[in-house]
Amino acid sequence: MGLRIRLSRQTLAVLDALLSRPGQWLHGYSLSQSTGIPSGTLYPILMRLEKLHWLETRWEEARTPGRPPRHLYRLAGTAREWAREEIHAAQERRFWKASENEA
Amino acid sequence: MEGFGERGMSVGKQEVPASARFARWLLEWAVRHWPEETRPWGLALAAEIDETASAFETVSWSLGGIMLFARSVLSGAWAWMKLPAGGSLPGASAPQGPSLLPKRSRVFTVAILATAAFLLFLPVGREAIRTVRASWQGFQESASDQRTLEELAARAEKEKDAGTLAFVALSSTDPKRAATLTERAISFDPELIWVYGARNHRPTFDPPREEWLARLKAADPGNAVPDLLMASALADPRVDMLYAHGTPKDADFEVLEAASKWKLLMERAYVAPRYDSYFQKHYQLTRAVWNRERNLPTTFIFSGLWSHAIPDLRNLMSFAKFKMHQARKARAAGDLQRAESLIGEVDVFALRMADGSGTKIEKLIALAISKSANKGLADLFASSARPQDAQRVALRLDEIERSVQGMRPRGDPGGRSGGEQAFRREAMLLQGFGILAVLAGLAALASVLLFEMWPGRMRNAQTRWRRALCWMADYAPATLLVAIGAFLMSFLPFQHAFAEYRASSYMLRNDERLMGAMWGLMEIPEYVMGVNARVST
Repeated sequence: MGLRIRLSRQTLAVLDALLSRPGQWLHGYSLSQSTGIPSGTLYPILMRLEKLHWLETRWEEARTPGRPPRHLYRLAGTAREWAREEIHAAQERRFWKASENEA
Repeated sequence: MEGFGERGMSVGKQEVPASARFARWLLEWAVRHWPEETRPWGLALAAEIDETASAFETVSWSLGGIMLFARSVLSGAWAWMKLPAGGSLPGASAPQGPSLLPKRSRVFTVAILATAAFLLFLPVGREAIRTVRASWQGFQESASDQRTLEELAARAEKEKDAGTLAFVALSSTDPKRAATLTERAISFDPELIWVYGARNHRPTFDPPREEWLARLKAADPGNAVPDLLMASALADPRVDMLYAHGTPKDADFEVLEAASKWKLLMERAYVAPRYDSYFQKHYQLTRAVWNRERNLPTTFIFSGLWSHAIPDLRNLMSFAKFKMHQARKARAAGDLQRAESLIGEVDVFALRMADGSGTKIEKLIALAISKSANKGLADLFASSARPQDAQRVALRLDEIERSVQGMRPRGDPGGRSGGEQAFRREAMLLQGFGILAVLAGLAALASVLLFEMWPGRMRNAQTRWRRALCWMADYAPATLLVAIGAFLMSFLPFQHAFAEYRASSYMLRNDERLMGAMWGLMEIPEYVMGVNARVST
């Protein structure tokens, strides 16, 4: 398990989006769309989560020749429970509230 | 992270607005230059750009990518800066085998060097550098000094600033240029006519300007100095030969009887009611200009004042001795009244000169002449049974002796003035710390550059050289900073002397302190360079 870190609202939003489809691989663009977080903020969050081993990543085979492969993300199995605990704790503290347009 | 392909991203070929196309191009460029450590994330972000639904989204996504790129570059740069000189990040071409690198990080070295540079850029730092550099040039004007003077003259001409034009004329070593500037200054302000006298006989090869001295005499008829300058300008060989074979004898003075033009000028000087060599005016003009132009090199200040023309002192002594010789002749002929009158004229002139002198040397010469005259009077009164007059003259001689002793330096067999002694220790510290700072700076620069620019060569260097360079890279920057701090602290007494000079009305003490500062500063350069760096007259 990776280290505990202080979680920002944006990080909680990303975790929530990943937890909504826990076993599914998600693209960066769809995460951005579902959380409303721009790319410049989203990818540093993903980089941090990956560095802490909470995030699993893989490259998707390019569907169209000439296009670059896309990167996929999902929460590591052991990190899912911990992410749920953090989201629940943040909601209890009223630090963060889950919503469709949370950013 | 899993491995990724090396393919770059493709550019969509649909018709897209120019902003979106530019945004894609910018992101492509960033990906090509992305730091190695986080490049996969750059590729991952860039690969999503084709999913954006509108031009606005494309631009927004791309800007996010640029931000991430900038953060990666800065993060990589910061990680690189935290390494020592010669160190490289993992993934870059690493040195083979064990590497010996300095201990201090680049951040530390840069911070130290930046602090040192900041200190030198402070006003006190710049003034200290200018002054010390000038001392190593013997306070002689360099090419850049001459350009500074020309710029000053051009500005003064434009603003019709007569004082600054006169200052430049007095500081310039180009006689033709100085003559032109002198005339311009006086045309703007006729009160500056004294510059004719102060600039006379400089440089030494400059022919005397009789016309100037005649105008000066016409403007200042009650002053002895124009006549004395004219007498010096005659360069009468009979006067020059007087001391050619040691102390002149009575027969040698007979030759001067025929030097009628010289005698006439000297007699006129002797009866003039005032003696003023215009040194105080020069001092005050220099002070006024230096207060306005704070960044003036000290070369101009020192060389200008030091080169101020005063009457030929040997000429003065010669004429005084000539008068004494005439007095002895009159006494031998039995005309004691004429003898006393002649000696009295010498004493009166000497007193006038002592009162009006601007420089210490003029005062000392005046006192020497007065002493000689009073000794003559003492002898005359003793032989003519005038004890009360003899006693009065004896008291006068004591007074002169006290005045002379008061002007001499105490306890210094080398004959240095009080000002010079006071500054000698400070000058040695200043020059010493300056030299240390230069050496430390060169050592820091050399060691850091060797590690950064030739890491391969450094890897192959012998361990002892590498250790030595590591030691230099670690300690030379800190030594440089400490040396610069000490250098600036050592300069403070000189800065204080300059400030005192700029703030004061004329006082011989301030002039002495200023000159003492100058001579103190020149001692080490003269010793090291083995040249006579004294300012030429």
